[in-house]
Amino acid sequence: MFKKRQVGRTIAAAVALSVGLALAGCSSTGASSGGDVKGGDYSGPKVTVTFWNGWTGGAAPVLVPKLVAKFNAEHKNIVVKDVPMEWADISAKMPLAIKAGKGPDVAVAHGDDIATYAAQGLLLKDDGILKSLGYSADDFPKGLLADGNYKDAQYGIPWSVTPLGLYVNKDVLKQAGLDPETIPTTKDDYLATLAKLKTAGVQGEWVDGYVFTGTFELESLIWQFGGDLFNDDVTKATFNSDAGVQALTYMTDLIKEGYSPAKVAQDGDFNALVGGKTAFNWNGVWQTTNDALAKDDWTAAAVPQIGSEKAVWSSSTHWIFPSNKGQSKDETAAAATFVKWMNDNSAGWAATGELPAQNSVREDPKLLTDYPKLKPFLDELPYAHYETVAPGITSATATITTALNEAILGKKSPKAALDDAAAKADQLLQQNASQYGG
Amino acid sequence: MTATIPRPATTASVPEQVPPRRKRRRTPVATIVLYVVLSLLALAIVVPLIWIVLTSFKTDFDAINTPLNPIPHPFTLNAYQTLASGQQPIFLWFLNSLAAGVLQTVLILITASAGAYALARLEFAGKKIVFGVIVATLLVPPVIFLIPNYLTVQSLGWLDSIWAITIPGSAGAFGIFFLRQFFVGLPPEIEEAARMDGAGDFRIFWQVVLPLSRPALATLAVLSFLNNWNDFLWPVYVLLSPEHQTLQPGLAVLQGAYSTHFGIVMAGALIASVPVLILFTIAQRQIVDSVASSGVKG
Amino acid sequence: MPASTVADTLVSAPAPARRTARGSGVRRRTGTAYLFLAPFLVLFCVFVLYPAISGLWISLHIWNPLLPNQPFVGLKNYIDLFVPGSLTSGDFWQSMGNTGIFTIASVPFLLIIPLVVAAMLNQKIRGGAVYRGIFFAPYVLGVAVVGVIWKYLLDPQLGVVNHVLGALGLPSDIPWTVDVPWAWISLVGVTVWWTMGFNTVILLAGLKGISNDLYEAAALDGAGTMRKFFSVTLPGLKPVLAFVTTVTILASANMFGQSYLLTKGGPGHATRTAIMYIADEGLSQNQMGAASAMSYVLFLVLAIISIVNFRLQRDRSQS
Repeated sequence: MFKKRQVGRTIAAAVALSVGLALAGCSSTGASSGGDVKGGDYSGPKVTVTFWNGWTGGAAPVLVPKLVAKFNAEHKNIVVKDVPMEWADISAKMPLAIKAGKGPDVAVAHGDDIATYAAQGLLLKDDGILKSLGYSADDFPKGLLADGNYKDAQYGIPWSVTPLGLYVNKDVLKQAGLDPETIPTTKDDYLATLAKLKTAGVQGEWVDGYVFTGTFELESLIWQFGGDLFNDDVTKATFNSDAGVQALTYMTDLIKEGYSPAKVAQDGDFNALVGGKTAFNWNGVWQTTNDALAKDDWTAAAVPQIGSEKAVWSSSTHWIFPSNKGQSKDETAAAATFVKWMNDNSAGWAATGELPAQNSVREDPKLLTDYPKLKPFLDELPYAHYETVAPGITSATATITTALNEAILGKKSPKAALDDAAAKADQLLQQNASQYGG
Repeated sequence: MTATIPRPATTASVPEQVPPRRKRRRTPVATIVLYVVLSLLALAIVVPLIWIVLTSFKTDFDAINTPLNPIPHPFTLNAYQTLASGQQPIFLWFLNSLAAGVLQTVLILITASAGAYALARLEFAGKKIVFGVIVATLLVPPVIFLIPNYLTVQSLGWLDSIWAITIPGSAGAFGIFFLRQFFVGLPPEIEEAARMDGAGDFRIFWQVVLPLSRPALATLAVLSFLNNWNDFLWPVYVLLSPEHQTLQPGLAVLQGAYSTHFGIVMAGALIASVPVLILFTIAQRQIVDSVASSGVKG
Repeated sequence: MPASTVADTLVSAPAPARRTARGSGVRRRTGTAYLFLAPFLVLFCVFVLYPAISGLWISLHIWNPLLPNQPFVGLKNYIDLFVPGSLTSGDFWQSMGNTGIFTIASVPFLLIIPLVVAAMLNQKIRGGAVYRGIFFAPYVLGVAVVGVIWKYLLDPQLGVVNHVLGALGLPSDIPWTVDVPWAWISLVGVTVWWTMGFNTVILLAGLKGISNDLYEAAALDGAGTMRKFFSVTLPGLKPVLAFVTTVTILASANMFGQSYLLTKGGPGHATRTAIMYIADEGLSQNQMGAASAMSYVLFLVLAIISIVNFRLQRDRSQS
């Protein structure tokens, strides 16, 4: 009886998928459609679902076990095993483990890794799962579902988004004789505030030449000046356009004007904010739960609009369903149930400093009453940019960090740094295209 | 144990330690300079370590804002509490590292000493080639070994097990090279005597060479253990579940997850080093003497 | 062939003259020998030899372990390393150059400082063992711990080092982990702090092995401290010094942890060593073919250096 239902659902899913599959062209090894599940109610034999994630810091280590325990209690035929490890470790060991059949049944990955994993045949397509769980693009912030889509097949189900914001140390503003409640939002206001801080002896925004968070600020600025990181089909780097040069020059000018020290170390900018040595820091929403800030009178705001457009960098995390050697369909189906449940119960996830992706959860007014500091980040989502979708993209975006580092440290002019990086990125994109079939 | 250095001596027994110079008369100035310099150097080593210990008891705010003042104010056990109650089973990692270290050390001692004896004392076909190849592999950058060994370990079914982090590591050339050099430096007379008494190769190896080689074996044991204990790249790839993780990659995890929480990072560093430091303090003299006296004849 | 030259040097040089009681014929005990070697050889062949050889094979392909196809490309990976403007050659030779800088900068300090300290410890002083222990202690810590500690202490804004400098009236914003040439100073300094004790202890052993009679003879000849050092100490220390030099050069050439943890290879890629680049290319970018080719080029360079080193030692010991 159970088998008949399974068969019925399989046929339905296959029919729904046929259009998508026809468009998919080359199918990567082992990328079969995800197991069958409807509306998040797995009803097969008892299974254990291994779940890998990179949630090792902050509030997550306390929150996640609670969620998992609750899920396990409510679902008698599913046991989820939570396996947290450092993000870098996951990227190192997961691909090989999946090929060896020892990877997880479900995992959380960042947006810029999904296309790479998909192209390497590591993931199951989850168009079917998406449909049967009842999700569509409108359930998530604009453009987010597409972030997990590669070659017209869906591989990710969004879980959270983490945009950049402007952190403000109000004590520092007060001491400089400025109104701590007036946070600048335009370029002119922002620069004027920095100038006033400078006369009061404060270097108002420390810029650094590292990924966290110099690169995020740079990318935000590139979009704000109307540019983009890559062209539409991701075959060429475009971050060295005029917009890019303007963006990077703006950052190096902050040093030139004396609003930032030169040669700031990794995390030096955030530490300076904590220590009351600077007023502003462009940083991710995840810092809202960093208790290093506990002693400071701080607030967060949307990043000021320095360029002609409103734009801000955001990362995203998605659920993925690895296609392990010998992956059990039941385990994938159970994993899908887990994913739906987690998304539905993700209101508490805001405590980790990430914004739940599911619109219904995030737009619930209760979220803001519980976590008021998140408001400015929520307001930014309509113009947030997520990661570029292309296999192997992380190596190309790494060149942006190199250019930033060289320009901030004064080794190269912004234009030269960006041009060199773009040349390198183009070569990398070419290599990716020939390896992964573009 | 006295520090003995095996030398090609004319006497049949291993010579005693050369006594310190008797003739040298040092001026008081020279003595003071000597002690001052040595003490400064010792401070340069010890002070950073003390700083770390103290930082582990600081709050994040304190660590960021008053780095110059070593005394924590307030004094807090927060870092240790976070580590102890955190999701990461640090104590388990410690045990895993300990077990792996001991296992790999034993394996190396057995295989390397036997092989080194053959290379040092026995004539056989292909000896030069075997030795040459072994030494040549010392120069091969370790990255080469990673993926092939991963695939081998996978096909042997050793992924996520203690075998994966001990057996491949015990195949290295250093141990056998090191012991071979040492054996070669041992005076052959004792072995000759035993052979004339009718002992076979194995008897000689077991009852003559090995006992004479205690300093070198102890040294190799220490070095092998430290090598395994400190490995932080390979375990990341072959260990999959958190219960099987070892300590050093775990520490790198902490640095990533808590990069701005200096107290926690320092506490983690301490937890990862305190066991070996204690071991080291207890066995200090032995260890240092072993390293010093173990036939580093080049 | 490099391997057998090295083997010759090692086999022939320090071995004592064989005074076999039997006749001059050397008995070949091939069977027994291989029995002794068997446990080691099995492990060695599976986990060292096989990967080393398959590494060569891999270097002739575009080899991504996660993709189904690994196309054969002949010597392209090697050629790319020597063609300016290719994807890998610029980065590779920059990283090799950085490795060279670090090796040349660190090895002298890693030899001279331990030598001086060993000479001092060789004097009759109280607490010699305590000093020895303290100097050796950092070596017991792993590179991860050492990296973590010094990253914090050398932080340009928060680290103690800069604050102490400031208190002394010196510039207090030195970018120890952020910019060159300071980053090199940091890397060399941390490496010396970490491994100095190991070299010291070995050199101390070598010093203790030099017979007192030689010093007395030199003193009788009228030699002062300096003369004694150069004509008795250094020659007597030669074999030990050779070993320490070789090991130190190899360790510096393979430096990975310090750069990775302290400077992340920055600024730009100015402190990215060869091993860092190879590891990134092979493990993060999954280009094992290119990474293997680079590894073998590095291997060749190290082999040449080693042979030169051994030849020099052999010539000197024969003169």
